Amino acid sequence: MTNLKRLTNALLPIVAAAVVFLAGWKALVVIANYPDWFLPAPEVVAQRFARAWLDGTMWRHASATLVEIGLGFVVGAGLAVGVGYLLARSRLAERLLSPYIVAAQATPVLVLAPLLVFWLGTGLLPKVVICALIVFFPVAVATMVGIRSVDARLLELGQALRATRSQVVRHLELPAALPQILGGMRVGVTLAVIGAIVGEWAGADRGLGVLINLARGSLFDIPLMFATLATIAGIALLLYLVVVLVERALVGAWR
Amino acid sequence: MFRLLRPLVVLSLLVGTVACGPGAPSAVPPVKLTVGLGYIPSVQFAQFYRAQQQGYYAQAGLDVAFQHEIDPNLITLLGQGAVDIGMADGTSVIPAAGQGIPVRYIATVYARFPSVVMAAADSGISSPADLDGRSLGIPGRFGSSWIMLQALLASAGLSPDDLEIRLYPDFGQAVGLQQGQVDAATGFRNNEPVQLDLAGFDVTVLDVDAITPLPGPGLTIGESTLAAKRDAVRAFVAATLRAMDEINADPEAGLDDAITSVPELGNDRATQLAILEATIEMWRSPYTGTHGLGAIDRDAWSRSLEFMRGLPDSNIPSSLAVDRLVAEELLP
Repeated sequence: MTNLKRLTNALLPIVAAAVVFLAGWKALVVIANYPDWFLPAPEVVAQRFARAWLDGTMWRHASATLVEIGLGFVVGAGLAVGVGYLLARSRLAERLLSPYIVAAQATPVLVLAPLLVFWLGTGLLPKVVICALIVFFPVAVATMVGIRSVDARLLELGQALRATRSQVVRHLELPAALPQILGGMRVGVTLAVIGAIVGEWAGADRGLGVLINLARGSLFDIPLMFATLATIAGIALLLYLVVVLVERALVGAWR
Repeated sequence: MFRLLRPLVVLSLLVGTVACGPGAPSAVPPVKLTVGLGYIPSVQFAQFYRAQQQGYYAQAGLDVAFQHEIDPNLITLLGQGAVDIGMADGTSVIPAAGQGIPVRYIATVYARFPSVVMAAADSGISSPADLDGRSLGIPGRFGSSWIMLQALLASAGLSPDDLEIRLYPDFGQAVGLQQGQVDAATGFRNNEPVQLDLAGFDVTVLDVDAITPLPGPGLTIGESTLAAKRDAVRAFVAATLRAMDEINADPEAGLDDAITSVPELGNDRATQLAILEATIEMWRSPYTGTHGLGAIDRDAWSRSLEFMRGLPDSNIPSSLAVDRLVAEELLP
């Protein structure tokens, strides 16, 4: 099978699902005769989407959200890999930290966000912290599971070859656990998008969360609100694909 | 959601009508009205509580239920007809109608614009021009306080870029002012300045009424409700204005009714009375003094419409006219 055929086979169901979704949406608007302020038709949203990108409105807000997501993801995932490793290799650390990590995960971020803004101000920092918090749990758990599932015979081999602790981690444990860690990151990166929006709702000047509030509450521009939602979904999808591509490149390279 | 449920509602009504049959009692049932007030119960809604407590709504054949909603939600719910009548900002009605949401402002409640800028009395800020280069706390760059601030600054040839804007998304800007974090802050004339005054903190208040007479919160309805329940809405407006007149003459009576409706307000009667008296001040203006409480000043609406159309990022179409925004025929 040629590459073109493979690509066509992969994309066909996705495109077909999108067409069915858009056709159903359009049919609902036409049959129920909904006005734009209640449920805009797909083409109205598409026009507003294009206008918001062309006049710079969307990029001004999207760029702020992307910075928050990027920093929050790097901080959250970085810490999570370290803590996840510790949880996997130290029973004491697991006993000490696990209940608090689970409790922190169970606390709704919607409740934490206003508090963080109250303590840290309305700048970049609280959004990064919220993103990092929301990213932390899935990546930490995935890392812990991944490290624990490393084949014991590999570790014995490392010991037999007199590998240092650092060499075992870098050359045996992390590569072996990489598929699980990156699986956690796939979940984490989409959650980071939610974290950034929630952080912006709690207080911000710029960002896609701010634009949603402006479109809904000040401008009553519902097509703009839908266009912003489409942008958020697009960013989440793009970031997910980036992690998948990184996963393929890294896992392939190490194997 | 209401629109999605509408066929089911109609079907249930038909089934109900058939089931009742010819033997059903002939007494006219009261007309149900859902009334959306602000985000939380407050003494600022004393006129509604009084009309309810004193039976004015019931006497008019109305069965009124209150619902608390934030302003943006309320406007769209009114447009859908899911809420019959609401206390909505005039400055929200303008962009909402501009986007095709079918709502009309039918009676003025706040004849003066309640959103103001406050500064410490000894700050040297006594006019909009004095805000140049100073720091100002505001919940966000949106809503009625943001529109008011732009109008206030424009009168001195300034814009928000000439100030250091600090955001207080938790609405803590009055505390920020009190603690010296900012030189000035936005607030509602019948709330924060009253509370600061009671706390012994002297403030100077800058209001926008003499500059651009922005329309304050008032009774607003959706056009579908206007068509379907016109007489009931007219009766509601009359009963509410009657309660306003009575509270205007006797604020203590209004406070008693508010406490009966919301017992928590009785915990600090002195503060609540001060807020209610400041609220009553907001109901009065030279225009309502001549035309009566509830009257709609079309000229002021026209000037506000022009001002808001000229704001940066405005999406108000040039075709939008005051006739599309207000409906005075329901006033007594």
